[in-house]
Amino acid sequence: MSYEDRKLQKALELISQKGLDGLIIYSRGTCFVLKPFYFYYFTGFRPMGPNNAIVISKSGDVFLLIEPSWDAGRASQKSWIRDVRGTSDFLGDLMATLKKLNMTGTVGVAGAGEMPYTLYEGIRREMVIQKADHIIEEIAREKTEEELDVIGKTARIADIGFQAFLKHARVGIREYELLAEIESAMRLAGADDIFNLMGSGNHNYAMHAPTDRRLVPGDIVIGEITPACEGQFVQLCRTVFLGNPGSVLKEKYDLLVRALNASVKQVKAGSPAALISRAMNGVISEAGYGKYCYPPYMRARGHGFGVGSIAPGAVIDDDTATVLRQHQVVIAHPNQYFPETGYLACGETILVTEKGMVRLSKSETKLYSREV
Amino acid sequence: METMQPALKRGRDVWDRINMPKAEFLERVAKIQEQMERQGMEALLLYANNGNEYADPCYISNYIMKTPQGAIVAITREGEVALICEGFARDLPGVKAITWVEDVRSCEDVSRHAIAFLSEKGLIPSTIGLVGLEQSMPHEQFRFFLESTGSCTLIRADRMIRDMRIIKSQREVDQVRRSARIVAQAFKRLCQTTSSQFNEKSIEAVMGREAYLEGAEDARILIARYDGNDNRALRPCEELPISAHERVSLFLAVEFERYWAQGIKTLVLEKDAFVEPDGAFFRSLLNRIIEGLVTGKEISRFCSEASAQARAIDIHILPEYGLGQGIGLSLQEAPFLDEREAGRFQESMCLAIQLAARNKEAGSAVMGETVYLSRNGPEVLTGI
Repeated sequence: MSYEDRKLQKALELISQKGLDGLIIYSRGTCFVLKPFYFYYFTGFRPMGPNNAIVISKSGDVFLLIEPSWDAGRASQKSWIRDVRGTSDFLGDLMATLKKLNMTGTVGVAGAGEMPYTLYEGIRREMVIQKADHIIEEIAREKTEEELDVIGKTARIADIGFQAFLKHARVGIREYELLAEIESAMRLAGADDIFNLMGSGNHNYAMHAPTDRRLVPGDIVIGEITPACEGQFVQLCRTVFLGNPGSVLKEKYDLLVRALNASVKQVKAGSPAALISRAMNGVISEAGYGKYCYPPYMRARGHGFGVGSIAPGAVIDDDTATVLRQHQVVIAHPNQYFPETGYLACGETILVTEKGMVRLSKSETKLYSREV
Repeated sequence: METMQPALKRGRDVWDRINMPKAEFLERVAKIQEQMERQGMEALLLYANNGNEYADPCYISNYIMKTPQGAIVAITREGEVALICEGFARDLPGVKAITWVEDVRSCEDVSRHAIAFLSEKGLIPSTIGLVGLEQSMPHEQFRFFLESTGSCTLIRADRMIRDMRIIKSQREVDQVRRSARIVAQAFKRLCQTTSSQFNEKSIEAVMGREAYLEGAEDARILIARYDGNDNRALRPCEELPISAHERVSLFLAVEFERYWAQGIKTLVLEKDAFVEPDGAFFRSLLNRIIEGLVTGKEISRFCSEASAQARAIDIHILPEYGLGQGIGLSLQEAPFLDEREAGRFQESMCLAIQLAARNKEAGSAVMGETVYLSRNGPEVLTGI
């Protein structure tokens, strides 16, 4: 059975178990690194327009509705779903499709949280809606071999992005020029989306979109390098110092590397995700920085990545009870504010296995420096 | 043109106070206050929640969301302005750096926070104008908003903001002009680049790099291929090689300091570089269509004239993308150039004009420019 057939089969089983007439998987065409993209996961097709839906009847009919209508050809080529229609009247065509497939009682909707009011109410007037995000989450929680291949490719692109970061982080370059170079390198390597943030200065408070600021000697340049392929994100959190780093900076960064190493040792299928955060915070707290491990200084110590599911979730902190499962992908990042150095970036994406964790990227996590 | 929304707007993010000073925003607020007074509104809420639809709250605040998160700009009739945005408190300093609005609030749920703002100002009950909420706000948030404002009179005020945005100030035109310059520069860079192994991703890398190095906040690239494939529509770039002598159409939209411009050009890969094909046949039609942009002319008439001009020289205009639309804070905004459109062209509109056409002998082509409708007639800003 193919990858797509397996997904459909599982979806049909869950539709039947829940007693639904069928399932709508909706997308507004937006993509966010901290949210799953159910539509993309299920179709293998990333939509452009503001309204898109997969309609699956309980008897196994599958229908794809695409906006803008001229993008339907691409949907037909990229998706395994054969019945594809472009639309310029999304609600009207969706309702007609639901009726045609006898979905007139209770329908599940995955991605309902994104639906604008007019659309949601338009459906609700005709039938009962049940939220059904969990159907896709259940199918997608553990990544398949096909997904892991893509993740491996994305990790290689992240390394290429980091090499570009290291090469171009130099005195005189502006923040936005630096990110342009990183982006270009990752695009050339095959990235189809990118989520890069950065910061620079002698005392950073956070990462942000790039500004006009030019890098100067003594800058601590921090970056989140995050390429995506087919919806799979991989992230590296890196710090580069322009000049010869002083002993305080080296000491604080070594502390973060120790925190990272302690945390990734906790990663194993069956372990609670909170252990990642607790191990990290334990090392940093022992060094006297416990107060800086929690809000307002720090938010999350990591999160999951994925297309159909970002389990164990958008936040890994000391209270994340979710148990890690085989072949989940998580970033562990002891990105940390220190009063002596400001905010430092340190982190990498890891694969959860039954034996422990596997680092996905090749580049070493350490404090880098460039001669000026 | 619809394009793929990125996971993050990741280009240069600044508020240039010379290009777009606080006074420009205060003028807009004052005009809105007048309209609110006339229509009996005591508050106006402008909502958006993604990188394609930031325009209405941005028009007042200069704030854009870089990821899909909601934001509301709230204006009272007295002229108080608040910016309420979903996100983390630690992001507030970054938000404050790009807006003149002093009352900036971060929250988890913009709908609940908007209600808190209205309550704080004693505006429940009152008459409240809404822009973008019903169309774009997630249904649960909007339902909460409706339930919480049951004692209020709610007025859809989208048209009011649309009519203001459709006519650009000189500063806005200048911003579109800056974006257009980057579009032209990126096409030029591509044609200056040589490679023995061009693929779609390398085109995207070259053009995107140039755009971002020139200060683009966002850049969107689409490609259409004519290599015998059935699907010739514009689409995102993939890891597919380009063959020698192959013709491709490239769409590039660039956002610079919030304002968009777009251009579409058809190129041929000759040896190791892209060159312009002999496109005089289609290009002359596009030029004549642009010349037809005349202040006061009905938009429907412009569209029917364009079709007639094409038919006269045996060119079939493909209907997929239309002839274009307004461009500014949105890549797609009013007026939409359609034979059913009731409006007329007005001075100081900025328009994205596009032509997808086919001719039996000359084949297919897509091309387009960003045009400013000045007092002296249409001025092509991209000039690609």
